[in-house]
Amino acid sequence: MQFDLDEDRALLKSSTRELLEKESALADARTVIEESAEGYDKALYAQLGELGYGSLLLTEDEGGMGVLAFAAVLEEMGRVAFPGPFLDLALAVRLLSQSEAPEAAEWAERAAAGEALVVLARLDATSGSPTRFTGGRVQGTKRFVPFGAHADALLVETGEGLVLVPRPGAGWNAVAQPTIDHAQRFAEVRFDDAGSLVAASDAARTLLEDADRLGAIGASALLLGLMDRSLELTVAYTMEREAFGAPIASFQALQHRCADGLLQTESTRSAVYRAAWAADETPDDAGFLAAVAKAWAGPAARYVCGQAIQLHGGVGFTWEYDPHVYLKRVKTLEQFYGATRDQLENALQSRGL
Amino acid sequence: MDLHFTPEQEQFRRELRAWLDANLERSWTEETRDPNHDADSLVELRRVWQRKLNAARYIGMGWSEEWGGRGASEVEEAILQEELTRADAPQVPNFLGISLLGPALIHHGTEEQRRRFIPKMLNCEEIWCQGFSEPSSGSDLASLRTRAEPDGDDFRITGQKVWTTFGPWADWIFVLARTDMDDRYGGISFFLVPIDQDGVEMRPIRQITGESEFGEVFFDGALAKREHLVGELGEGWRIAMTVLGYERGAATLAKPAEYDVQLDGLVAGLRASGKLDRPDVREQLGRLVIENEVMRSNGLRTLAQLASGHAPGPESSIEKIFWSEYAQRLSDSALDLLGPEAQLATRAQKTGSDVDWAYQYLWSRAGTIYSGSSEIQRNIIAKRVLRMPTA
Repeated sequence: MQFDLDEDRALLKSSTRELLEKESALADARTVIEESAEGYDKALYAQLGELGYGSLLLTEDEGGMGVLAFAAVLEEMGRVAFPGPFLDLALAVRLLSQSEAPEAAEWAERAAAGEALVVLARLDATSGSPTRFTGGRVQGTKRFVPFGAHADALLVETGEGLVLVPRPGAGWNAVAQPTIDHAQRFAEVRFDDAGSLVAASDAARTLLEDADRLGAIGASALLLGLMDRSLELTVAYTMEREAFGAPIASFQALQHRCADGLLQTESTRSAVYRAAWAADETPDDAGFLAAVAKAWAGPAARYVCGQAIQLHGGVGFTWEYDPHVYLKRVKTLEQFYGATRDQLENALQSRGL
Repeated sequence: MDLHFTPEQEQFRRELRAWLDANLERSWTEETRDPNHDADSLVELRRVWQRKLNAARYIGMGWSEEWGGRGASEVEEAILQEELTRADAPQVPNFLGISLLGPALIHHGTEEQRRRFIPKMLNCEEIWCQGFSEPSSGSDLASLRTRAEPDGDDFRITGQKVWTTFGPWADWIFVLARTDMDDRYGGISFFLVPIDQDGVEMRPIRQITGESEFGEVFFDGALAKREHLVGELGEGWRIAMTVLGYERGAATLAKPAEYDVQLDGLVAGLRASGKLDRPDVREQLGRLVIENEVMRSNGLRTLAQLASGHAPGPESSIEKIFWSEYAQRLSDSALDLLGPEAQLATRAQKTGSDVDWAYQYLWSRAGTIYSGSSEIQRNIIAKRVLRMPTA
């Protein structure tokens, strides 16, 4: 038995940390998040594509490194609250590369290389009819499409299957859906566009189940990075900040809160890496373990990142300090990629309950 | 990363399961529900069970062959504890001797001490209890006041110990006592003391479950022979702290296995009462299921770390907090979800659930106190892992 990453994956993790600290330190990332139109650094995504990050989630036979390596990279991205659709893009690449449709392979390649942004459009509008694909056209409305307004193509879930819709000449008919999480650029997209089927209903279901599982693991790994860094920042702050003539880190009330933070964070690490390892190695319980990881990671991260604001005191409530960036990311990641309540149900069902 | 057990470890598990099938006639749950049993006869039954395990060399498995062990790894020890839990086997009476004193003697004792005490510990001829805590020294153990004064070559022990688990049935007690009143750590020594002598009085204490599984011990000039001093004078604290570290790893898989059994019981009860389909119930049950699995993930990680040669660190405090607080959430929730039938003092058949929930509800309050309270564990994490300063 061995919990540590093997040499290749450990190297990938440490070089990713170096790269992100250099190219996307939180101060720079915040400028991108708060000021850029797209919400991410396109040049940096192109660089990641060149370095092979776009195809990371593919199996080793397909030129990727598998789920465990992917989780290690996402943990690092979580630590710096890395802006943009990296997780969504990786899921789309994996999905496209599993499709047999001729267009799929080409888009998979371009997306993996960082030349095109492709993401999934899943959630139907709450009112109106579900999205359909008839006569070569997709019709309907999808909400909370991640970075949907800037995508070059969308993979749209319809009653007929998964449909690839390249951006129409006039651009998307999209309305931004700003949430508290500025790092996430959701859009509601109204479709009446030509598309091509990349997977019909049964095949689509299988592909989406796989995407759900990997999305849950990926989001959990991001949550792990977010809480890990958040706790680090918090402990460091309590060592510097003095009150009553001593660093506030010496007060037991704060120590116990931080100890709980470590318990939550390290337990998330155990759950996330076990789930990622299982996705590569033991498919039988991989679905259960993915649900466990995601159902645990969301509330755990919410606790740790919430306490980060509390233990920073007044400055924790300011825009200037960073803890809120983490707390906001946490909420998005908790609600998407299988919300906590849904994952609890998934966990029970995958245990035959 | 690799969380697979080796083929040898899998083989060990298969053999163990076959052995348990052949040798464990009745589960512990069945035994405790047998009206013909009382507290003493249950201890005798546990003694017999330990002897069976010992004859099959499942006791002190991690020790060298010379001392009755197999030189087994932490992983095998964890598998053993997991399978014993799954099979609902009785706990051996000498668990404190085996997990704490045995390693102390092997690492710090003399050859004569090992020869004299280890065989009888293994076959349960002598039951051991632990004399560490005192009425005024619990979490702050090093403040202990029980003293050992020289009397010729030997020592006379005076003072009081408390929360002495299995004390009412023990033959011997290993005692931390002061041989220097001023040196906080270096003034503590480690003695082996027979209980059946003038100057030792053991009084059972009734617990919130109604049982008297622990007691208090009064020493009034009790004799501790020089040859029963473990290590040198003043080495007691260091020995005690190292042996407490040897416990790590053994429960990593047993705890989640224990709660799996309880969760199965909870599901059976919910099914029987037609509540399993209620969304609010499912959410609470789902939470309990995933938390136990996260606990297992922590355990596998600790075990993998041990297996790849990393010494157990203060991270084991995380495990202690996790399982002990989880046990309370689990039984709290079970009583909540199953309703008043779950509170019936015995017997769970009323709830369709093969778990004595009322007992678990009470018993789970002990786990967050013994072996380093949750508060002490959080101090350890803050100070030794997060390096937060002392006030």
